[in-house]
Amino acid sequence: MSKKFILKRTIFWILTIIIILVVIGPLIWIYLTAFKSPNDIFTSELSRQFIFTPTLDNFKRLFTQFAFFGSLLNTIIISVASTIIVMIIAVPAAYSFSRWNTGGGHILFVTISTRMFPAVVAALPFFILFRNLGLLDTHIGLILLYMYFNVSFATFLLYGFFRDVPIELEQAALIDGYGRFNIFRKVVLPLVLPGIVTTSVFCLIWSWNEFLYAFLFTRSSAKTMTVLISSFWGSIEIQYGPMAAGAAIGVLPTLIAAWFMQRYIVRGLTFGAVKG
Amino acid sequence: MSNAKNNLAGINGLDTGRKPTIWEKLSNEKYFKWVLLAPLIIVLLIFMFYPLIYCIYNSFMEGGLGAESVFVGLKNYRYMMRDSSFWIPFGRTLEALVVCIVAELLIGMGIALLWNRDFKGQNIFRGIILFPLLVAPLIMSLVWNFLLEYNIGFVNQLLTAIGIGKVEWWSSNIALFTIAGITVWKWFPFSAAVLLAGLKSLPKDVFEASRVDGASGWFTFRKLTLPMLSPLIIIIVLLRTMWLIRLFDPLYGTTRGAANTELLDWMVYRTSFVYFDVGYGSTLAIMSLYITIIIAAIMYRQLIRALKSG
Repeated sequence: MSKKFILKRTIFWILTIIIILVVIGPLIWIYLTAFKSPNDIFTSELSRQFIFTPTLDNFKRLFTQFAFFGSLLNTIIISVASTIIVMIIAVPAAYSFSRWNTGGGHILFVTISTRMFPAVVAALPFFILFRNLGLLDTHIGLILLYMYFNVSFATFLLYGFFRDVPIELEQAALIDGYGRFNIFRKVVLPLVLPGIVTTSVFCLIWSWNEFLYAFLFTRSSAKTMTVLISSFWGSIEIQYGPMAAGAAIGVLPTLIAAWFMQRYIVRGLTFGAVKG
Repeated sequence: MSNAKNNLAGINGLDTGRKPTIWEKLSNEKYFKWVLLAPLIIVLLIFMFYPLIYCIYNSFMEGGLGAESVFVGLKNYRYMMRDSSFWIPFGRTLEALVVCIVAELLIGMGIALLWNRDFKGQNIFRGIILFPLLVAPLIMSLVWNFLLEYNIGFVNQLLTAIGIGKVEWWSSNIALFTIAGITVWKWFPFSAAVLLAGLKSLPKDVFEASRVDGASGWFTFRKLTLPMLSPLIIIIVLLRTMWLIRLFDPLYGTTRGAANTELLDWMVYRTSFVYFDVGYGSTLAIMSLYITIIIAAIMYRQLIRALKSG
């Protein structure tokens, strides 16, 4: 091994370690802070940031003093319900787009542009509509909004997955005497199942993470996890401990999803344009 | 494709010996595709056109929620043209946008080039850098706010330990760049992952040939790698523009529009939901929509092209 080779290798590993530390540093920090007592959080000594006696106080306070469990439940109900509705609407639509190019591309464009519709633009009209309908601070209100924002993304992503199914398979099924509906259900659907799972996870995560609408449209009874966590900052007393504990719980599902969906993240974030 | 369509239609036409039931009619080729699409169209009609028409209508009106609305023509638009509290956030948004995209692309490209080889634990590392992508932006902005706190924040303590000293991250000179930095942290893995996927799919023989010809690394990168990756770079730039133009969560978790960080969406939010100025809020929303429609149109062409070539 030449000197130059060793030098190159050393630089490579130093850079790689720096990249990884920058990426996971803040995430590790959430979990470190979540187990710290207030004295260890408000310290200006560097060593005490790492060496401390772990405590579960923050989590205890989070669930007893603040309505964290309720807000977590709200987030789960809203994300799951909106994702189910999204899939019921998006799967057939995406199939129609990919198999017959329904609407000659125009409807598909309108669909995708909904996702690019600025959330703030839609916020005021919906706020006033929901106020008149009594949907403010209800689960149904947020479910509808999340459904609307995810349905276009889901349709477009699924469109890419449906395009991967060879049309010959369907023709063979037609010749075997299957009806249109049965071909869709028995031939196409099993083949795009990975796509459906991927899309669902993306919709779930988006709803899970959403803040703007949750913040504007809920006050108490439908308050979501992100809104509750945000209230720890900006009030009179900053609650770093409970905030970190809440963040630790709120971030966990997305980290797990990121790990197990590695193969599909690039595809999902690029609306299916880059296969990864 | 069209040939296949004819085949399908032909086969469907075979079993028309008796009068078809409604169910059979609906599963016929001609109607089936629209039946599948109907729920989506209904949802889009309600949820897209209602806010759109509402905003357009109200952008010509004046008056808050309680007061009677009065038709004022183009007054709101004329006011917006001269309103510095609109143009300054607009300029800041563009500034943050350029800073973020350039930084993300440079870091992403660096990582992609660095990791485009086989090394120990490569799959683990490539998996780890995807973590920030799916994490809630609001939660991360709160965490960064804590990390960058002047006294108790870890970043300043680390900087003190290595002799640089404390930095006032949220002072009005640099707060915008701090927010941009947080955003870059969350999104550089996106550029890195997309570009890495791109590098992996490039034909190896071309690079082999250029090496045999004695081309320098920089020359190969500029003349071969970069042009081949340009479709991906365009997709990254467009998608990131689309997302960055409505930066909201990182502001809420940190400065809340103070310290010279008010961006476009924050301004729309403030006008609509803090002052409840429905007319002007709608005007700003429409303006924000125009910008996105232009980006969306370019975006759509690129996405479809990429999907069809892939």
